[in-house]
Amino acid sequence: MKTKRIDGLLFEKMILNGLANLQASQEEVNALNVFPVADGDTGTNMCKTLENGIRYAKARPEMGAYLKQLSDGMLLGARGNSGVILSQIFKGIFLELTHCGYVNPGELRNAFIRGYKVAYAAVVQPAEGTILTVAREGIEHIRQQIDRSTTVERLLSMYAAEMRKTLAYTPEMLPVLKEAGVVDSGALGFILIIEGMLKYLYGEVLTPNRSAEAKTLPEEEAPSLTLFNENSAFEEGYCMEFILQRLKSDRYTQRFSLDRYLEDLKLYGNSIAAVQDGRRIKVHIHTLRPAKVITLSQEYGEFLTFKLENMQLQHNEHMMRQAAAQGKHKPLAVVAVVNGTGMKELFAELGCDYVIDGGASMNTSSQEFVDVFRKVNAEHIVVLPNNKNIILAAQQAVTLFGADNITVLPTGSMVEGYFAIAMDVPNSTDIDFRLRQMREGGNSIETLFSTTASRDYSCHEISCRAGDQIALLNGELVCVSSDWLEVLLAGLEKIPDMEEKETCVIFRGAGISEEAQEQLSQTLTERYPMLELNFIDGGQSTYHWMLGVL
Amino acid sequence: MKSFVILADATCDLSEEFQREYDIGVIPGHIELPDGTEIPAFLKWEKYSREDFYAALKKNPNGYSTSPANVAEFSAAMEPYAAENVGVLLLTISSGISGAFNFASQAREELLRKYPSAEIRIVDSMRFGPGFGLMAVYASMLRSQGKTLAETAQWLEDNKNRFHQAGWLDDLSFVAKKGRITQPKAFFGTLAGVKPIGEFDYNGLTTVLGKVKGAKTAYSVLLGYMEATIENPEEQIIFIAQTNRLPQAMEYKKMIEEKFHPKAVFVNDVFPSCGINIGPGLMAAYYMGKPISKDLSEERALFDKLTSEG
Repeated sequence: MKTKRIDGLLFEKMILNGLANLQASQEEVNALNVFPVADGDTGTNMCKTLENGIRYAKARPEMGAYLKQLSDGMLLGARGNSGVILSQIFKGIFLELTHCGYVNPGELRNAFIRGYKVAYAAVVQPAEGTILTVAREGIEHIRQQIDRSTTVERLLSMYAAEMRKTLAYTPEMLPVLKEAGVVDSGALGFILIIEGMLKYLYGEVLTPNRSAEAKTLPEEEAPSLTLFNENSAFEEGYCMEFILQRLKSDRYTQRFSLDRYLEDLKLYGNSIAAVQDGRRIKVHIHTLRPAKVITLSQEYGEFLTFKLENMQLQHNEHMMRQAAAQGKHKPLAVVAVVNGTGMKELFAELGCDYVIDGGASMNTSSQEFVDVFRKVNAEHIVVLPNNKNIILAAQQAVTLFGADNITVLPTGSMVEGYFAIAMDVPNSTDIDFRLRQMREGGNSIETLFSTTASRDYSCHEISCRAGDQIALLNGELVCVSSDWLEVLLAGLEKIPDMEEKETCVIFRGAGISEEAQEQLSQTLTERYPMLELNFIDGGQSTYHWMLGVL
Repeated sequence: MKSFVILADATCDLSEEFQREYDIGVIPGHIELPDGTEIPAFLKWEKYSREDFYAALKKNPNGYSTSPANVAEFSAAMEPYAAENVGVLLLTISSGISGAFNFASQAREELLRKYPSAEIRIVDSMRFGPGFGLMAVYASMLRSQGKTLAETAQWLEDNKNRFHQAGWLDDLSFVAKKGRITQPKAFFGTLAGVKPIGEFDYNGLTTVLGKVKGAKTAYSVLLGYMEATIENPEEQIIFIAQTNRLPQAMEYKKMIEEKFHPKAVFVNDVFPSCGINIGPGLMAAYYMGKPISKDLSEERALFDKLTSEG
């Protein structure tokens, strides 16, 4: 194959193949986790981001038109840092090719260059040794080699090969990768997508895992039927939609003119649309007199499908929602991503207006944030992402939503999020003051988390086997032990000036017994008699214990 | 013979020692226990120890409730003096919290009908607990200086807005339930590791000015707050109240003594009349200073300044 140009339809097939290729290695990418904590999900995040874009985009022959939808869908569906960066790369590709019906290899190269540049610009502190580096070096190293004779296949294969070279060097650029003995997961994910696109051109067609696409956006709830009752006014009419099959029997009028039919329909309603396809007519109309429309239509045939909705009910529902929203208008609303029954209750109790269930992976997409922003009726919104991997997704959601009244406080864990919301002073009318209080809340806390290692792990300072108890201090693996209590105590020892700390807030994870809590409480009281201990039944997944020390 | 008597309801939290020292009579209200029995409010840990009481309260916050003395009880407490033509100055808990002022005023009306020449003044303290108690002590000191009942009552009316609270209440679940604090409902909950700093407001309630993380920061902000609001500290008696926070209160006392050199600092208890409504977790100093601004805007700005200075 010597493809010299591609259009939107071909690009769609290629990108589907890219997704399928990534999906096939999704677990491999997930496993490239820096720490042996069972929250590695880069592969899943990138798949979901791309899936959302593909689902969002309708097949379009014009490259620019297809890419716009793909990029919009990815921006909205972006999950995790890697997903956000991936969506930004595709945004750059779209921006470069906006006006293109089809593109040649030179234009595609320019689009890849624009892609990495847009992604770099979107990250506040770009780190080298990541997907960014790979996307940049991959294209920069070959940009001079593209000429008139270059095919799309050649461009993509050179691009992928260069990126593979850089990938091998990512541990040299990013020490945490080297310590963990892995290459960068996001970078590998991106390469797999490009390689999948190339495979399509070589005839290796893969099938994306459709079950992964099954999850759809939450549907609006059906309006409550009680909103239309004996006291209701009826002014909005019905929304009718049907397909009329014209029949050949003598009983029906055979002479049919769509224009004439439309003129007749106008007597009975408005918002009329009718499309003719052979002897079938698809009709949409808003009317107070559906019987008239039915009688008119039955002159020509019978209904193949028929839908009638009471628009007054929808109208009443809409008015009620609007009233409810107005009633709840607040100067400042807090949106937080939380996992665990106890944690959710705690955040709600502390005045969090929208608790987003982050699930075990605490992996909320930009789309989910945007959906919540739409519901919030407040002058100002504060977002507590509570996971360092979704801070970017939250920030991207704010950009997409296009509001300047949303502040993302970069809380990297639920512990920091707890302190942020606990420090809020809701009775104050000074929004800046409340923001300062919350920001201060999330600052300067030592966090110590413990869990069971999900796999064997080794770096020059520390190593563990799957099943060992491990402790992470401020996100860094610091201790390993076979005993859960020992690993926590050893972790606390690593905190500078631990003897002078005054307060420790302890969130107990899902499935951890009260006896264990009692044991921890006694041990800590003996070891640190001056430390004030506060236990909270968090019920979080992933971490057995989460400690916030100050 | 003393020129007039000073009475206060039991929410003044003045221990027997203070009652004797400053010659202040106390009118007890009522406490309902979880088993349904009603006992008079008390200002002495006798039958119950402080620790046991607060531990029991913490376990069963809804089991306890309080009510002020009723009209007849206020009347009965004042009548012997009215009958003897001894003036009565009665201080009540903040009308923002309790109906005591209203009941006491009705009792006064009744007594004046019966004893038209009696001199009775009821002062709404707009405070509760040791803040209220401190005000009663000031009234007693004025009396000792030879002020008349009318002069003392007028001084209280003119100066009650200068009685401050600088402290924290780190368990807000009780005040939430009893509506003893002006906050949105969602504000309350577990506040592990976080200290809400509260001040008396214009309505006779406590308002949270802001919050700080950890006791160390809290002490430093509180001392800064006192420094900016207190007047003539070396001439003052300062009360520190605590509900089951004795070690912290002792530390706070030491810091206040070192910084302000007041005449005396007393660490007082919060007895059940107030404690049931406040819950464990109060640790606050009460003192006199600059008038509190109507919407607390100045106090909030001060808090903001103190916390942003770090």
